[in-house]
Order: sequence, then structure tokens, then C-alpha cells
Amino acid sequence: MNKLLKQALFREFKKNETKLHELNYLFWECTTRCNLNCRHCGSDCSKDSQYKDMPLDHFLKALDTINNSSDNFTVVITGGEPLLRKDIELCGREIRKRGMRWSLVSNGYLYDEQKHISLLNAGLGALTLSLDGLTDSHNWLRNNDNSFKRVDKAIGLAVSTSRLNFDVVTCVNNRNFYELEEVRKYLIQKGVKAWRLFTIVPIGRAKVDAEMFLTDSRFKKLMDFINESRKRNEIDIKFSCEGYVGKYEFKVRDSGFFCRAGINIGSILIDGSISACPNIDRTFAQGNIYKDNFFNIWQTKYILFRDRSWTKTGQCADCKQYKDCQGNGFHYWHSQKKNVLVCHHQKIKYE
Amino acid sequence: MKKDWKRKIVGWLCLSSIAFVFQACYGTPQDFGNDLLIEGLVKSKKTGFPIKGIKVSVGDKMQYTLTDENGQFSFYTARMNNTQIYIEDIDSTENSLFINKDTLITIKDSIFNTKLPKVYLNIELEPK
Ligand code: SF4
Ligand code: SF4
Repeated sequence: MNKLLKQALFREFKKNETKLHELNYLFWECTTRCNLNCRHCGSDCSKDSQYKDMPLDHFLKALDTINNSSDNFTVVITGGEPLLRKDIELCGREIRKRGMRWSLVSNGYLYDEQKHISLLNAGLGALTLSLDGLTDSHNWLRNNDNSFKRVDKAIGLAVSTSRLNFDVVTCVNNRNFYELEEVRKYLIQKGVKAWRLFTIVPIGRAKVDAEMFLTDSRFKKLMDFINESRKRNEIDIKFSCEGYVGKYEFKVRDSGFFCRAGINIGSILIDGSISACPNIDRTFAQGNIYKDNFFNIWQTKYILFRDRSWTKTGQCADCKQYKDCQGNGFHYWHSQKKNVLVCHHQKIKYE
Repeated sequence: MKKDWKRKIVGWLCLSSIAFVFQACYGTPQDFGNDLLIEGLVKSKKTGFPIKGIKVSVGDKMQYTLTDENGQFSFYTARMNNTQIYIEDIDSTENSLFINKDTLITIKDSIFNTKLPKVYLNIELEPK
């Protein structure tokens, strides 16, 4: 189909989805404790987090405000490292018992055979493991000499179960940039079906680490790498949802750019805040489960998420791509709302 | 209803049934919910008492669970019309000795059409 027509239809689709704002995807930041100390961590998690894990019954009370959840509604359990919770299986079972689905994001360090089985038994349906390069680069980024060995084992377990909708995510940085071909080969050989690549957001620890940020020319090469790899059909590789990529739209992902934060994606964060993706500036929280009815907030608030016209400012103010981009991913905005932190389109425009 | 039509047609025209399937940067792929909850009770055929510590596994036996002190077990497994279940006494004489058992369960499509498909099994083991 003609790209312009496709884009026009996709704009309509997005408009309609925004109007309906059906909650399909709920992040639960169940802990901010972590067993690693990754260079790119956006949440500044630590071994001794200032927050206690959120008690399961607090989360369930909020979850139970959702009446008639959509058929594909999924709770995405995230952290920190969710596997540090001793009751993670119980959390999963309680969610699944309600007819809802659940999935997990993990660094894979604690994902051994026992854990794999107990999570499957508890109804785990989807899993994402982070792999940030081959041995040296992965261990460097994760600040841990055993982390590659551990995640390699975890990947092996995850691919052995067809029931799991499983993918690997890679944070592309200057260390692993030239080994992406090798990582692709490694994943194919491991039997991984899906691979998602993202770039770093200038927040958290990463903000001050120059090695983490790709130059514009490298970013464009990354788009070419994904585009070319998709044509080979050996692995379902895609660029993450993070930003609008102009001429690469519909080429590096299954569909066009659509930031669904607050439209289909919500979250309950460690302190009870109600928001969208956990990487979004926390001042955009719409309420708190400790004083508000979660689902009521979902239905009635989120105005800034569903009407993005406020992003038409700074460099987005007179941008010709605005109707397709609408100010890029929400997580690229800070509370001052003065300018977008990163414009992916600009990165590829002049290259 | 009208909105839903518009949604599907425009989604489809964008060549993306995948338009409805998405994931956030730090999130996971969506779970398609292709599972089945298998629950049950294992007891002694002779005494009628529940048996603790019995291993219940499916398929290639990689996924398994053990019965609790009430002889109960519960786990989610891949959705299939025919599922082979293995029941094994693995703790030697600790909870008496029982003869292992295999059973093939056949699930009707109507069960899979519910939001949370599940089956309940009553299993009796013969003492050795
Ligand atoms: S300037 Fe803003 S609206 Fe334009 S492409 Fe960049 S981020 Fe998107
Ligand atoms: S806020 Fe960022 S991570 Fe979340 S949906 Fe939008 S682009 Fe994706």
C-alpha cells in the first residue's frame, strides 16, 4: 500500500485508539530493589532501595477497581528486579486468578530452572530478558562479571517453552554497536524468535555516561541494520516504540510509531503513583492508589497523555512531521514541558 | 460497537492486526493467554487419604509441581486439546509407596472459550 495512504490511515487509527483509551497493558513496579547496578538504568534502582516492595494486597486492591478488563489485558511486572521478591509466583497467581494475564521483565540473573518452572506454574505468559551484547559488553554494562553467563542460561530456558511469548531487549550503545551482527547470530543460534533494540534515554545514571549515547550517524546505521535484518526474516527484530523515525517508519517495526502511554498503557509505581510507562518523568503521575480509585483515574484523567497538543512547543512547534510524531515518545518530556529531550527524526534527517 | 468496527477496519487497513499488539520499551510482548489451569487432588485408592509430595508433570516432564499436605496441586500449562499427565511417587517411603500413573486428558473446545480455561482432576493411586 502507498506509504502516504498507510500513514493517513494509521493517523486515523491512532485518533480512534486515543478516543477509546482501552487499558491493555499495566506496568506494576513491584520493587525498586535490584541485584545489579547497570550503567543505563533509568530508574536509579539500587540494592538498598529507599522504597519497600509494594505489598501484593495493596496492588490487588487497585487492580480490583478495573471492571471488565479487556480480553488482552496484561499486567507487566517490572522493577527493579522483580525476581528479588520472594512472593513473585503468588503475585502472578493472584493476577491470573482474576482472568488477567501477566508477564515479567527481568535481567535474568536469578532466572534458573527452578524459577522458570515455578513461574510457568504460576501462569507466566510473556517474558523479556535484557541482553546488552556479547560477554564483555554485557558484563560491562551490567557491572557484573557473571551476568552474561546467567542471562545466557535464562535465555536457553525461556526458548525451551513455546507457551511463553518471549523476547530479548538490547540497549544499543557505543560498546555493543559493532557487535550487533554477532549478537544477532548468537540469538538465532540460541533459538530466540524476537529481538527488540532500544537506545538510551538521557535520565538516571546514564545521563552522565557518554559511552551510552549513539552519534546521529550510528543511530542511522542502527536503523539500517534493523531494516536489513527484518528483510532476512531470520528473527523478528524491531526497533522499540521509543520514537518517530521518519523514512524508516513501517520499516523498523511491525507498525508505525504510536506512543500508547496513557492511551493503552498505564502503571502503578512503587510509591502507589498512577502513571503510564515507568520511564516517564514521575511528575506526570495522575493520582495515587493510596488515595484514589485506580480505574476511575484511568477513565477520567490522563488528559496530557490523550491530548498531546501541549507538545507542539520548542523544536516540535513548527515541525512538518508533527502530525505523525506528536512530540515523540512521552518519556522524552520533562515536567517543564519546554522541549523534547530527543528527536529521532532529526538524527536521521541530515545523515 | 460502531467504534469497534472502525477500529478493526482501520487497524486492518494499516496492514497490522499487529496494530493491536504492542509493547512498551521497558515492557514485555503481550501474553496471548494460551494456557490451561490444571488443578486436582491426589489420594490413596486404598485409604482415601490425600497424598503429599506426589510429582505431577506434563508433556516432556520439564514442567511439574508437587502435591501439598492436602494432596492438592495446581499449575498453568500450555493450552492443548490432549495433555499427557504423569503422576509419580518420588519421595520413596516418606509418604508410603504408590504406583505411578499416566493419564491423557482431553479438553473440549468449549473450555478453551472461557476467560480462564481450567480442569480439575481427581486422581487415585494404588499402594505398592
Ligand atoms: S521535532 Fe518534535 S514532532 Fe518533529 S520529529 Fe522531532 S520530536 Fe517529532
Ligand atoms: S512513553 Fe516511551 S516507552 Fe512508553 S509507549 Fe511512549 S514511547 Fe513507548
